[in-house]
Amino acid sequence: MIPHRTTRVLGQLTRRVVTLVALLAITFFAVEVLPGDAVVSSLSQDASDAEFAARRAALGLDQPVLARFWHWIAGVFSGDLGTTARGQHIADLVLGRLPQTMLLGGTALVVTVLAALALGSLCVLRPGGRADRAIAGTAMVALALPEFAVATALVVVFAIWLRVLPAATGTAATSPVALVLPVIALALPQIGWNTRVVRAAFGEQLGTPHVDAAVLDGLSRRRILTHYLLPGAAPTIAAAAATSVGMVLGGAVTIEAIFNFPGLGSVLIDAVQHRDAPLVAAVVALTGALITVVLIGCDAVRAWAGGGR
Amino acid sequence: MALAVAGPWFAPHDITAPRTAPYASPGPGTPLGGDQIGRDVLSRVLVGGRDLVLASLVVAAAVTGTAAVLGAAAALRPRFGAVLDRVADTVILLPAVLGVLVVGLSVPGSGRLPVVVTAVVLGIPFAARVTAAAAAPIAATGYVETAQAAGESLFSLVWREILPNLRATLLTLLGLRFAAAVGVVATAGFLQIGAQPPAADWALMIGENSDGVLLNPLAVLVPSAAIALLAVGVNLACDIAAARWRPKAVRGR
Repeated sequence: MIPHRTTRVLGQLTRRVVTLVALLAITFFAVEVLPGDAVVSSLSQDASDAEFAARRAALGLDQPVLARFWHWIAGVFSGDLGTTARGQHIADLVLGRLPQTMLLGGTALVVTVLAALALGSLCVLRPGGRADRAIAGTAMVALALPEFAVATALVVVFAIWLRVLPAATGTAATSPVALVLPVIALALPQIGWNTRVVRAAFGEQLGTPHVDAAVLDGLSRRRILTHYLLPGAAPTIAAAAATSVGMVLGGAVTIEAIFNFPGLGSVLIDAVQHRDAPLVAAVVALTGALITVVLIGCDAVRAWAGGGR
Repeated sequence: MALAVAGPWFAPHDITAPRTAPYASPGPGTPLGGDQIGRDVLSRVLVGGRDLVLASLVVAAAVTGTAAVLGAAAALRPRFGAVLDRVADTVILLPAVLGVLVVGLSVPGSGRLPVVVTAVVLGIPFAARVTAAAAAPIAATGYVETAQAAGESLFSLVWREILPNLRATLLTLLGLRFAAAVGVVATAGFLQIGAQPPAADWALMIGENSDGVLLNPLAVLVPSAAIALLAVGVNLACDIAAARWRPKAVRGR
């Protein structure tokens, strides 16, 4: 029934937005309640009381908490992220770097999904076979690797010992070659995790009667894979990929530091080093919004694959 | 892991005093060379793992334990399960690394405790969702329904009927959570949140020595490998142990 499905999709959409607002509230109040103040951290200790008061007023910190929360959250949705403790426009600073992180994280995510699908398909060709066991075992190792440990190992081996790939991307990722190592470092643990999910999801589909029937009918392997296994396994795979988005964005923080990559992660590290609370809150808000968008996409895949159910 | 815990007793040199030139190549007395101010890398590697292992163990055990109880309760009480779902939906929007950064920023200079607490809080909802999914079929079995009808308390249902049947799942989960915890705690250390210089810490060493990676790659490579080995080793060990506990008929799933 179409109307029923529409309301359900709308309901999910509302829920996603509500959880995002909840996260924004938690972030705002965490920054608010925990000790450490943007004014105190951004002015030198011998600044006069008048200077403190002036900076407070400039940052709007003399307003009541709820008014500031409302102002901030309205700003997040309208693209006005306020100013950093050091007086820069957060929107300019953050939105200028966002494309870099989107490029890095997006590439890593695409590589992850493609590799996981390919490896998972290899596994399912002959369940329990040599390739299946080798891939499943390697995936178990890969998923436990911290991104930055992978990154440093890659830098030492490929950039220093073999000198085949560049380690530092420097100012802008102008050449695609510079993206290779950071993307591998970000994607490898996620490939491990997603391959296991794909393999399990395909394996589950293999046991269903309609797939058995297709196999008995002598359909080609490729057709069985794309027309029978994939639709059933898609929701599970999409959910795992959505989880990876958060992991990739979290991992990007250290990867950007190691490869000197000018993205959102380096903004965040800089903000943490300067104890710039408004900037940190803005980056967290933006990350939450990005993940929400992906989750909504994931809901859409589930609704599509689930049909009228 | 044993090496990381026992390592400090075997360290040949003082970890804070320089022994050789900054970023020195391996030489006599310093088999892994020197770090950014010439301290012995081998000694610092031997010392620098213990805190990471302990912090990760605490996080993994706390997350798995709490998630086990919450997940089992959620399988028995659907309304609680729905609440748990909403919380997990919210927490998934905040990557653990970012959460640790926010808290580390707000509670400066307080060591590892905020990192551990944040990692536990952010890890529980997702892990509880996993245990709830695993507990759901058990909660629907006849004997649990019988026990429930007989008026057993929620606590005793969770503790006596559900959790013993989740052993294999929980052990696998413990391995995964340990690997995740190593990732978060080490990332925090790498960003100098938690462990502070001049302490020896694998993750901190990677960050400190990365400028000299051309001169002495071992000062970066060995701690990286140690962290990777730790996460992978514990995860694999848990997985293998869990496979032994799992009944044969279910193993194929």
